[in-house]
Amino acid sequence: MHPIRAALAAALCSLAVPAKAADIEAGRQRAQQCITCHGAEGITADPSIPSLAGQKERYLQWQLVFFRSGRRQNPVMNTLAAALSDEELRNLGAYFASLPRANPPAGAPDPALHARGKQAAARHRCAACHMDDYGGNQAAPAVAHQTRVYTAKALQDYRTAARPSVGVAAMNEVAGALSEEEIAALAVYLENPD
Amino acid sequence: MAAMPTPQRPGLLATAAIAAGLLFTAAPAMAQLKSYDSSRPSFWQNPPPDWFLGDETEEQKGLAPPVGPATPTPLAELQENLKKIKLPPGFRIEVWAHGIPEARQMAWGDNGTLFVGSFGATNVYAVTERNGQRSVATILKGLNMPTGVAFRDGALYVAAINKILRYDNAERSLENMPQPVTLYDDLPPYVAHGWKYLVMDREGAMYFNVGVPFNIGIPPAGTAHIRRVHTNGLGEQVAMGVRNSVGGDIDPRTGQFWFTENARDWLSNDLPSDKLNRLERIGTHFGYPYCHQGDLPDPKFNAGQNCANFTPPVLNLGAHVAPLGMKFYTGSMFPAEYRNNVLIAEHGSWNRRVYQGGRIMRVQVDADGKNARQEVFAEGWLTGAQEYSGRPNDIIVARDGSILVADDWAGAIYRISYSR
Repeated sequence: MHPIRAALAAALCSLAVPAKAADIEAGRQRAQQCITCHGAEGITADPSIPSLAGQKERYLQWQLVFFRSGRRQNPVMNTLAAALSDEELRNLGAYFASLPRANPPAGAPDPALHARGKQAAARHRCAACHMDDYGGNQAAPAVAHQTRVYTAKALQDYRTAARPSVGVAAMNEVAGALSEEEIAALAVYLENPD
Repeated sequence: MAAMPTPQRPGLLATAAIAAGLLFTAAPAMAQLKSYDSSRPSFWQNPPPDWFLGDETEEQKGLAPPVGPATPTPLAELQENLKKIKLPPGFRIEVWAHGIPEARQMAWGDNGTLFVGSFGATNVYAVTERNGQRSVATILKGLNMPTGVAFRDGALYVAAINKILRYDNAERSLENMPQPVTLYDDLPPYVAHGWKYLVMDREGAMYFNVGVPFNIGIPPAGTAHIRRVHTNGLGEQVAMGVRNSVGGDIDPRTGQFWFTENARDWLSNDLPSDKLNRLERIGTHFGYPYCHQGDLPDPKFNAGQNCANFTPPVLNLGAHVAPLGMKFYTGSMFPAEYRNNVLIAEHGSWNRRVYQGGRIMRVQVDADGKNARQEVFAEGWLTGAQEYSGRPNDIIVARDGSILVADDWAGAIYRISYSR
């Protein structure tokens, strides 16, 4: 194996192991309320709802913190998250992060839009945080393989600062510069950037 | 070149994924290092979204600030972490308070309340003790990066990017804080390096940095300086050429303002050094963006300046150590030789292949800034090439002479005490 590929594979495997503090099994049990919308294996059937399977643990936990404090608004999520303790929140993040990622959504590809999305992703340096395969890193989520409906909504919410960035990350600033056309193109491209 | 992280480190994933991108996507643009033209006002008028990045060097490629845990570290894990902290003989560290998301600057109220600012959490906290029970309450919510706090004459002061707010009778109103008075708001709105640390002098004037909204460039007018705001709401610029300072204190020996300063990123792993500065005269220029660490011309923004014309630091602290909160030790619990030493909380690196900092330093220095030397006081929060178990960011001396240390990564406050 090429040493860099080997290192990448090792790194990917090691990242699949959750942080020691969180309890995946407890997370699985606590997730019973979540799977109604997010799917039994964390893969959603509703294109407006994100799949959580294989998502970055730290990203999931931060979003639950934001829902709990009301800094990210969604009537259902605000209510559910309000009941979570820190420990439950950590376990839920670990559980969904431990599940295998969703495949790219099936859907009619639009090669021209896909190409424009790829250009927009390069222009706005999305890979700087989300990595070259858009599989995410630390609190920067995997953005590949989400549905175009969800990705477009997420970008619109960041653009209007309806949801906050994490730490010194700059999603509000990035998205603030996006046009409607770019959002539509990015949403299509990120469904299947491979 | 610095050693590579071991395969367990997320940092390697970043490196490997970028390398993999080079191998697999065959996009020529990926092979280039990022660069920004930060020489024009358009850069800061419309800063790039990844404003904290800069012109990359090969050795720093792909580095980005790490994001801490979403929730405060549980008590049992904190106690495990503290077992690994190394201190000089006779000193002891313990968890003093926990469950304080993104805890930043601390300030004592007159009646023993500890007020604590936060970073992105938007909160200000109060830690109180009743019948030997210590508890943490969130007393303010929804503020814009309320990192800096100060207290005087019953009033709590909070710095929230472009506002200095005053909450009167704060300690008697913890359960229902009053509407604030805006003491001062003649400040730029930049969030990047706009978070502040408040240092109050003997007269109640507050010193704080107005940081530059980027890594390196021509500073927008009204940034890159230390401002002093008086209790009557009048402000003045007292120190020039300061990039980003999030810590300082008044020297008990002289009444002079001293401050830490974070140097620019993306020059190399080992340059330039972060600084400890002393303000001897109003209007002194400390060099940014023309010169760094007292003697290093900026490769792009030197503008023909001679570095010897700027005020040198009292001490160069090291590259990417990120010195934040600092205090002169004024207590009587520690050994006598600690009296008036500067204790500095180093937040630690992100823009360095192998992190350093994430510890507390002790600086022994004369009141005139001469004979400065530093040594490590407390370390062990840096647990890998690019991993933290905690990140100290502020220090405050307690009445009994122990010190408290705020950790925004773990959401906790520690106490360090000494006994013979």
